[in-house]
Amino acid sequence: MIGSVSKPKRVVEATGVVKDYGDGATAFRALKGVDFHADEGEFVILSGPSGSGKTTLISILGCVLSATAGHVRVLDDVITAAPESDLPKLRLAYIGFIFQGHNLIASMSAQENVAIMLALRGWNSIDAKKEAARLLSLVELSDKIESLPADLSGGQRQRVSIARCIAGNPPIVLADEPTASLDAQTGQLVTEVLHNIAKKRGHTVITVTHDNRIYHFADRIVHIEDGLIIDEKKDSHP
Amino acid sequence: MSTDTAPLDGALASSETHITPTKAYAPSGIRWRMMVTIAWRMMFHNKLKMAGTLIGVVFAVVLSNQQAGTFLGLIKKNTMFVDYSGADLWIVSPSTLTLQATKPMGISALYTARSTKGVAWAEPLLYGGASIQLPAGGTEPIQFVGTAAPRYAGGPWNVVAGSKSALERPNTMIFEDSERERLGGLNVGSIREVNGFKVNVGGITWGLLPFGPSFAFAEYELARRMLKIDSDQTHFVLIGLEPGANPEAVKKAIMERAPEVKVVGREEFRSMIVSFLLRRTPIGITFGTSTVFALIVGFVIVSLSMFSAVVDNIREFGTLKAIGATNGDLAKIVITQSITFALMGSLIGLAAITRIAAAIRSPKLGVLLPTQMLVGTTFIMIGMCVAASALALLRLRKVEPGMVFR
Repeated sequence: MIGSVSKPKRVVEATGVVKDYGDGATAFRALKGVDFHADEGEFVILSGPSGSGKTTLISILGCVLSATAGHVRVLDDVITAAPESDLPKLRLAYIGFIFQGHNLIASMSAQENVAIMLALRGWNSIDAKKEAARLLSLVELSDKIESLPADLSGGQRQRVSIARCIAGNPPIVLADEPTASLDAQTGQLVTEVLHNIAKKRGHTVITVTHDNRIYHFADRIVHIEDGLIIDEKKDSHP
Repeated sequence: MSTDTAPLDGALASSETHITPTKAYAPSGIRWRMMVTIAWRMMFHNKLKMAGTLIGVVFAVVLSNQQAGTFLGLIKKNTMFVDYSGADLWIVSPSTLTLQATKPMGISALYTARSTKGVAWAEPLLYGGASIQLPAGGTEPIQFVGTAAPRYAGGPWNVVAGSKSALERPNTMIFEDSERERLGGLNVGSIREVNGFKVNVGGITWGLLPFGPSFAFAEYELARRMLKIDSDQTHFVLIGLEPGANPEAVKKAIMERAPEVKVVGREEFRSMIVSFLLRRTPIGITFGTSTVFALIVGFVIVSLSMFSAVVDNIREFGTLKAIGATNGDLAKIVITQSITFALMGSLIGLAAITRIAAAIRSPKLGVLLPTQMLVGTTFIMIGMCVAASALALLRLRKVEPGMVFR
């Protein structure tokens, strides 16, 4: 439990993960045997240059891409051993996603975008909408619940996306360049929200970013280059 | 307050400080409801694309029904004589393929029929081509029918001026209203020359216009003289059965006694006429081809529209897949959209074609739209739209959830 003196629970653990794209002469090894882990309530940043393999790594951790070799365990499930048909259920149970481009459903209101996650988990429509409204209030969007994504600013859309990702309390939040399309001030605030959901709600947040202005929020910065983790820095808080 | 600079510190501080993952997964009913909602939202969000797809369905519904309805109208025109003749059985010459002028057969078949058990009545009928002399010169063809008094089996129906009994008067005929102008502006009381005989116009029918010259009726004896048919010959014999008589048994009995003729039931004769039209005339091919093309064009429009809608929303589909929706869920969205397009398009299209059919209805052109065809069209459209979504479904199967990170 967050704040307890006991050792934090290991939420995700990857061992010797290899990922190849393509076959034969065009084959490309994006990950070359990566070992990675993250604990409950931890805020981890994956950094590295473009093409280094960080997006490939969070795609594998997020059960949206299968590894060529290696093992990935999320809590009690070895996801690399799971059949493909089980992956949607595992994603739903364990992972919340935040995307660089927000990826909200353009035709649905902020509230409905959040409620989708809950409905997929089996909530009835009324309860899902109530809970979605509550989650949107947590990210200070109470007065925007009926708004379509097109009527929201970039920062507001990203906060809807954060509310959607924490709907149903997935243990892991994977964020891909969550500040890339935001101005500096909004980017800082969105990162603060991500930091808060790790520290105050206990989600394990793993963020891919190039934005070194938000590094100070991280518990750990994992640097990847050329498909390998080459550096890890802990406790970079100012 | 919901600005980008809203202070969020503390907002997320909640009692939920420990995550307990649950593998709860929505049951089929909830998933269906959710996917239907998403499907409709996506459809109505892009109104221009929705209108384009609907136009495809409406086009297919209107054109296919117009073609099929016109075809049925033509079939009806060619079989209405059999339908209205009142005969349960027809005696025809063995070479008869449809209702048309044939080589006459012996009148003995009439007496054979009349003396057969189960026959309530039997009447001769003459059926042949004739020409009417126009007042301004020239001639026009008519479909000449000679019907025997006093029953007038196969006689005029839908008499809108004069009466059927006018045929009892000497040298009197009944003509078709819709061809009055073409036949020289005739009216009840007009005198015309048909096949060289001066005749009085004793009545006018409405809508008795087959796929060819209009029907004109005369009493049997007058018709026999005008068509120059010997008194011991006739073209057809019409038979009415006694209540409870078995048509097949009567038919068999007559054919045993008169093997030189053929006896057919009313439905059998209708089928022969339809079969003749389909096989021996270009009607079937012409209308069948245009109906199929209407469906093909509609199919292509719907198919491309739905594929394009999936491509346009590919990132949203990828996102849904990433957050836990399955291929089956995404298929539900596309199938819901295709069924909705089919139902909306059918509703609009059928409303349009029924109004068009009513507006163009005339004795010369009747677009028949039976309820079964309208209901069938809706089901065909559903099938067509679902089939048209196959390309979109194939594309969806290839959507990788990992695309959301690219």
